[in-house]
Amino acid sequence: MSRVRLLERDEAPVHARSIYAADGSASPLKRSLANAPDLLETLLPFLGQIFDEGAVDLPTKELVVVRVSQLNACRYCLAAHRPLALELGTPAEHIAVACNELPASSLPAREGAILEWVDRYVADPHSIDDDLVARLLDHVRDDQLIELSLLIGATQLLNQYCTAFQVPPPN
Amino acid sequence: MRDALENAVAEGRCGNRLWLYATYHCNLACVYCLTESRPGIANRRALGREIMVRAATDARDLGFTCLGVTGGEIFMLQDAAETIAELGGILPTVVLTNGTLFTERILTRLEPLAGSVVALQISLDSPEASHNDALRGPENFARVATAVPALLERGIRVRIATTVEDQTEDELSRLCELHRSWGISDDDHLVRSVVRRGRAALEDMGVEPGPMDILPELTLTADGAFLHPFAPTVRHGVTDLDLLVSRQINPLEAAVSRFLRVVADQPVGTDVARNIR
Repeated sequence: MSRVRLLERDEAPVHARSIYAADGSASPLKRSLANAPDLLETLLPFLGQIFDEGAVDLPTKELVVVRVSQLNACRYCLAAHRPLALELGTPAEHIAVACNELPASSLPAREGAILEWVDRYVADPHSIDDDLVARLLDHVRDDQLIELSLLIGATQLLNQYCTAFQVPPPN
Repeated sequence: MRDALENAVAEGRCGNRLWLYATYHCNLACVYCLTESRPGIANRRALGREIMVRAATDARDLGFTCLGVTGGEIFMLQDAAETIAELGGILPTVVLTNGTLFTERILTRLEPLAGSVVALQISLDSPEASHNDALRGPENFARVATAVPALLERGIRVRIATTVEDQTEDELSRLCELHRSWGISDDDHLVRSVVRRGRAALEDMGVEPGPMDILPELTLTADGAFLHPFAPTVRHGVTDLDLLVSRQINPLEAAVSRFLRVVADQPVGTDVARNIR
C-alpha cells in the first residue's frame, strides 16, 4: 500500500491537474507527485528532457533505465519500463541481460560497455577507470555519455522514491 | 507582482485579504467545522508567530490591504494576543474566534487592541442558548454573551458571525436584536451558509459551493497556500488538496505568483452569490 496519497484528478491541487489525461487517469507515480504541485512545475519538464529521446536513442535509454531499476530492485520502475523498453525497440535479449536473466557476455560491445558504466556508476563511481571511459567513447560521444549518466541519476531518484513510498506498480 | 495583484483585486478576480490559519487546534468541535478542529488534536499545524508576521509583512509589500486570522482557535496559542497586536500593526486585521477563552488575563493582554484596526469576529449562531450550543458546544452561548460586552468595554471592535444551517427567520431577527443591544451594528454582523466541506460534508450539512460562490482570497496554512479560507478542509484527518495553490508559503511571493495564475481564470467582476466569506 502506498505510503503517500494517490490523488484522483478531482482531489488534486489546481496546478497538478494538467498531469492527468482527459479521462482523468494518471500513473500511480504522477498521482503521488500531485501532492507536491510546486515541484511538478520543474520536475516533470526535467524528467521529460532526461527520459525522452535526445542525443541518445530511446531503446538505449530504456535499456539503461531497466538496468538501473534492476540494480535498485525497484518493482514500480521495472513494471513500468520493461514493457516500455520492448515497445520502443530495445531487443528482448538486451533487456534479459539487464534483468540478470542472460549473461552480459551475450551483449554487443556497445551495450556491454554501457551496462558496465551503469553498474559502476550505481555501485561506486570511484570504480570507474580510464579504460572503461575509453571503451565507451568508442561507441558514444561525450555528450551522449553525459546524457546517459544523468538518466542513471534520474532513474535512481525515481527508484528510491517509488520504493520508499511503496508506490504500487502500474497495471 | 504588486501591480498584478492590485489589478486582479480591482477586476474582482480575487480579494485583497490574506488569510492565515493560525492553528488547527480548537477547544470546541463544532458540527460544521471545515477543518475537523477539536480539543486534543494530534497534529495542530500551527503557523507560528514568526511565520505569520513575516507573511503579513510580505503581504503588505505585495499589495494586500488587510489580513484575516482563522483556524482552529487562535486563542489556543499562548502568544495569541501579542501576535494579533503585531499583525494589526502591519495591516488591518480581522480575527475569527469562538469567543470562549477570554479570561480576565487574556482580556488584559488584549487591551492594546483598543481603538486599533483589529476586529475580533466572534461566532454566534442563535440567540437561543440551547440551539447555539447544539451547533457549537456546551456553554458556548453563555461564554460569548459574557465575552462580547467585556471586549467592547475595553474599546475592542467586535463583529458577530453567524453560520446559517437550520435557524428560522425569527431566530435570526432575535439574534440581530441581541447584537444591536450590545452596540454591534448590522454592518458588523456577518451571516453566511455552512459550506459543505470538511466535517459539514460528513454531517450532510450546508451548501455545495459552486466555483463562483467563494471569492478567491489567498489563505496560508501549515499545509500550504490555498485558494480561499474555505479550501483547506479536513475529512477523516486528511487535508483536502483540491484547492491547494502552492505548498510553498515562504517567501509569500511564490504562493502569490501561483495564486494569481489560478485567479487569472476567474471571470472579471466575479461576485459571490452566497456571501461565503
